[in-house]
Amino acid sequence: MGASLPPKEANLFKLIVKSYETKQYKKGLKAADAILKKFPDHGETLSMKGLTLNCMDRKSEAYELVRLGLKNDLKSHVCWHVYGLLYRSDREYREAIKCYRNALKIDPDNIEILRDLSLLQAQMRDLAGFVETRQQLLTLKPNHRMNWIGFAVAQHLNSNGSKAVDILEAYEGTLEDDYPPDNERCEHGEMLLYKISLLEECGMVERALEELRKKEPKIVDKLAYKEQEVSLLEKLGRFDEGEELYKKLLSMNPDNYRYYEGLQRCMGLYSANGQYSPDEIDRLEALYVSLSKQYSRSSAVKRIPLDFLSAEKFRLAAENYIRPFLTKGVPSLFSDLSPLYDHSGKADILEQLVLELEHSIKTTGGYPGRVDKEPPSTLMWTLFYLAQHYDRRGQYDVALGKIDEAIEHTPTVIDLYSVKSRILKHAGDPVAAAALADEARCMDLADRYVNSECVKRMLQADQVALAEKTAVLFTKDGEQHNNLHDMQCMWYELASGESYLRQGDLGRALKKFLAVEKHYADITEDQFDFHSYCLRKMTLRTYVEMLKFQDRLHSYSYFRKAAAGAIKCYLKLYDSPSKSSAEEDEEMSKLPPSQKKKLRQKQRKAEARAKKEAEVKEEANATAVSKSGKRPIKPVDLDPHGEKLLQVEDPLAEATKYLKLLQKHSSDSLETHLLSFEVNMRKQKILLALQAVKHMVRLDADNPDTHRCLIKFFHKVGSMLAPVTDAEKLIWGVLEAERPTFTQLQGKSLIEANTLFLEKHRDSLTHRAAVAEMISVMEPSKKKEAINLIEESSNNLVSSDGALGPVKKWRLKDCIAVHKLLVTILYDHEAALRWKVRCAEYFPFSAYFEGSCSSAVTNSSYNQMHKLHENGSPNESSLPLSSNGNVEKLEGLKDLVIQ
Amino acid sequence: MGAGGREVSISLDGVRDKNLMQLKKLNTALFPVRYNDKYYADALASGEFTKLAYYCDICVGSIACRLEKKEGGAVRVYIMTLGVLAPYRGLGVGTKLLNHVLDLCMKQNIGEVYLHVQTNNEDAIKFYKKFGFEITETIHNYYTNITPPDCYVVTKFVAQPQTKK
Repeated sequence: MGASLPPKEANLFKLIVKSYETKQYKKGLKAADAILKKFPDHGETLSMKGLTLNCMDRKSEAYELVRLGLKNDLKSHVCWHVYGLLYRSDREYREAIKCYRNALKIDPDNIEILRDLSLLQAQMRDLAGFVETRQQLLTLKPNHRMNWIGFAVAQHLNSNGSKAVDILEAYEGTLEDDYPPDNERCEHGEMLLYKISLLEECGMVERALEELRKKEPKIVDKLAYKEQEVSLLEKLGRFDEGEELYKKLLSMNPDNYRYYEGLQRCMGLYSANGQYSPDEIDRLEALYVSLSKQYSRSSAVKRIPLDFLSAEKFRLAAENYIRPFLTKGVPSLFSDLSPLYDHSGKADILEQLVLELEHSIKTTGGYPGRVDKEPPSTLMWTLFYLAQHYDRRGQYDVALGKIDEAIEHTPTVIDLYSVKSRILKHAGDPVAAAALADEARCMDLADRYVNSECVKRMLQADQVALAEKTAVLFTKDGEQHNNLHDMQCMWYELASGESYLRQGDLGRALKKFLAVEKHYADITEDQFDFHSYCLRKMTLRTYVEMLKFQDRLHSYSYFRKAAAGAIKCYLKLYDSPSKSSAEEDEEMSKLPPSQKKKLRQKQRKAEARAKKEAEVKEEANATAVSKSGKRPIKPVDLDPHGEKLLQVEDPLAEATKYLKLLQKHSSDSLETHLLSFEVNMRKQKILLALQAVKHMVRLDADNPDTHRCLIKFFHKVGSMLAPVTDAEKLIWGVLEAERPTFTQLQGKSLIEANTLFLEKHRDSLTHRAAVAEMISVMEPSKKKEAINLIEESSNNLVSSDGALGPVKKWRLKDCIAVHKLLVTILYDHEAALRWKVRCAEYFPFSAYFEGSCSSAVTNSSYNQMHKLHENGSPNESSLPLSSNGNVEKLEGLKDLVIQ
Repeated sequence: MGAGGREVSISLDGVRDKNLMQLKKLNTALFPVRYNDKYYADALASGEFTKLAYYCDICVGSIACRLEKKEGGAVRVYIMTLGVLAPYRGLGVGTKLLNHVLDLCMKQNIGEVYLHVQTNNEDAIKFYKKFGFEITETIHNYYTNITPPDCYVVTKFVAQPQTKK
């Protein structure tokens, strides 16, 4: 480095490098300038100066200098390395890798560059390259522990587990007998556990167990040791030993569900779907009776039998389980039991059981068959449970009755209001739900959870501004709104984006959805530091697990929702583009000149104001930075309302970006392919649309959306002109070959297929609506018939075996979809009105249908109740309060309540 | 009392602006009066003299006082409200709340605690007498909308702890 310089300057150059490493950038800059005074064209110095400036937030100068430096000295590995570092700091990893490779061409054995390259390869999952680089590092420096481990991990990631084992064993061979020293016992133990998990993964189970036991004294993490051992024993079919060990683990933690599951597996009493023969159930019961004697303080041991018991035995166990929790007051009891509602018949038993408890407490003050009285709160918790129970069963009116009774009993319990809010949401009244959630929030202003829940309800009720205000109550002062973004508060951004989308504000909606997408990019980015850190700290099992998690990161539901939201925005944008500036000009030209001038002035003023505001903000930021010292400057958001996002050239191309991620990571979701269908039909990409339809048929051929897409697709294709170009002919060929593969269409016309689909799903509202929609698409003249098909649907009771109570079959959201279909696609407002009236009766709490109990109706019970609450006291009219003094006089009444 | 003879703990907590709504909810349920902002300002200002009572972590009762300066600078305590939710009465919650205030008076050398009671509210009068309160005055036509409209002023003069010398 700096070889071409005379000794004095060479020393200065060393100083630059050292200053860079110790972050003394100003010092480095001085040294660089000193060299450049004499040798203004010295490439490496120019590069280092650029790199230093990059750390001082002078990006554009940095790139200029580094590129100039490289131009002046193309043969310097330093210049290439620096260029790579610059790209790396901007997350341009592919470019960075190219630079490092060039640097290595000049200096193939440079350890530092090799190490940096290996990190980038791990980040980019260039696994073959990663293996190669790691091997080179090991060859160069075989006395470094990290190089052995790094090479092994690289092999493992590149799906060569047995090779990784060999490397680790070779590494162990280099160690002395008394290894490890006391301060490295943990790291060494982790390495051993990693090796054993590798052996297990490669199917060498016997050897893994042997190795594990041999190395026991050297493994520090005893719990991980036991869990590994039991997993190996199970795989080897040594169930008796496994059983023993699981029992030992249970005595260490009797609330770990996985241990119980393992124990059951070892005893041959496990079934993944929860179905057991009567004999198995008897044995399971006996097992848990004996376990519960041993672990009397465990709640898992009492909860698990509720899963496999049924009928009378279930009833008994459930009652014993529920009683103490109601007495104690455990708000989560219902969520604990709610999975049982999916088991046939159990919802009914629970209902009967808890109603009996309620009755007994109300009449005797205690549980049935007990002399002892229950504390007063038991009744309230019982009502609380029942409210959630009826909510789950879809009986919202009963649920509301129960929760109101509980609130009347003890009006100070916040959970009651939260649950009431949730019931109202399910019943279809988001506005009332938001009001209740706000009431809950006000009862404890220091509780972030109720605050967040309230924000979410407000967003569901499309009260975005209010929600934002409420949300920032819990963010740091100052840069409030940004703070929610910095904290990666994704639920907020998603709910807010969805609300904007509902309200048709596509710019703001896109802004929020893309913010979530950005968080996922950041999470991917965040793994970078761990490539070196984990190797050093030897947390290899968790490291590999983290990498695997990162590989499927984009399949998580928040990403899916954000991507779907963004695609929907772009589709809407494509269908009804916002006014372009040309169109605006045209509109302007229609105005008389005087108005034109005014409008122009107005626009100019608005622009100037916006600019000024941005400047003021920037200034404020700058001063804040100078005060607080090192904090990096946050760029001002130049597009806070997402207006720029609306000005994309090609919305469908943008949508395709996110669609590809969905297709790659969420190919088993019907929505992915539905979106793909919508995008590709608009792009006229016939074959890609066909592919989407095929995926939908594969996933769920009976889904109404699948049917819609299938019919729409072949209807559209059938109306296309005969092919002319070779490409078109090719497409036609494929379509002709593919059509017979759809069994729904074999030997039938589309109209016949539509009728057949109706025959198959005659009783389902959503299917009938899909058929009706397709009639209107294929035979517009038969619109009347389509509407009749919808109106003649009947809303029957659901069968009584499942989670739902005696309620009607139709779901609110399906009925709303049908209403929208009548309004926007079938264009029959009279039918829509009839539909609305009919649904208002089925869903009295629905604000959408303006049901009689909803907040949308002025004299609904909700609004009356709310008025009373605002005024504080129901008896107010009988006790008019004229002045402060009078109030005090009335305080004497307080003593009425003391007994 | 309590279930199966189990000892249920009653704890007290102060009133702050973060949980003020709890006191408001209690008052709405307990008293046929809507209290104005001055009531809540006084309650907050009284500090330790205003408390919420928790039964199994559920807020079930409260005592709210106002500190008054008498002529000559001495302080006396006026109990604005004391109440417990109906289902939770008879469990010692009211006693605990009142004792807390009386203890506090003792510690802070406050000699006088008083309140108003409607003349026909015998249960309340009995309750306060248990703690050494006495009827010190009768005010006619104190209430405007309930009968009887008269009230007693009920006062306890707190014995000061003997100063050890």
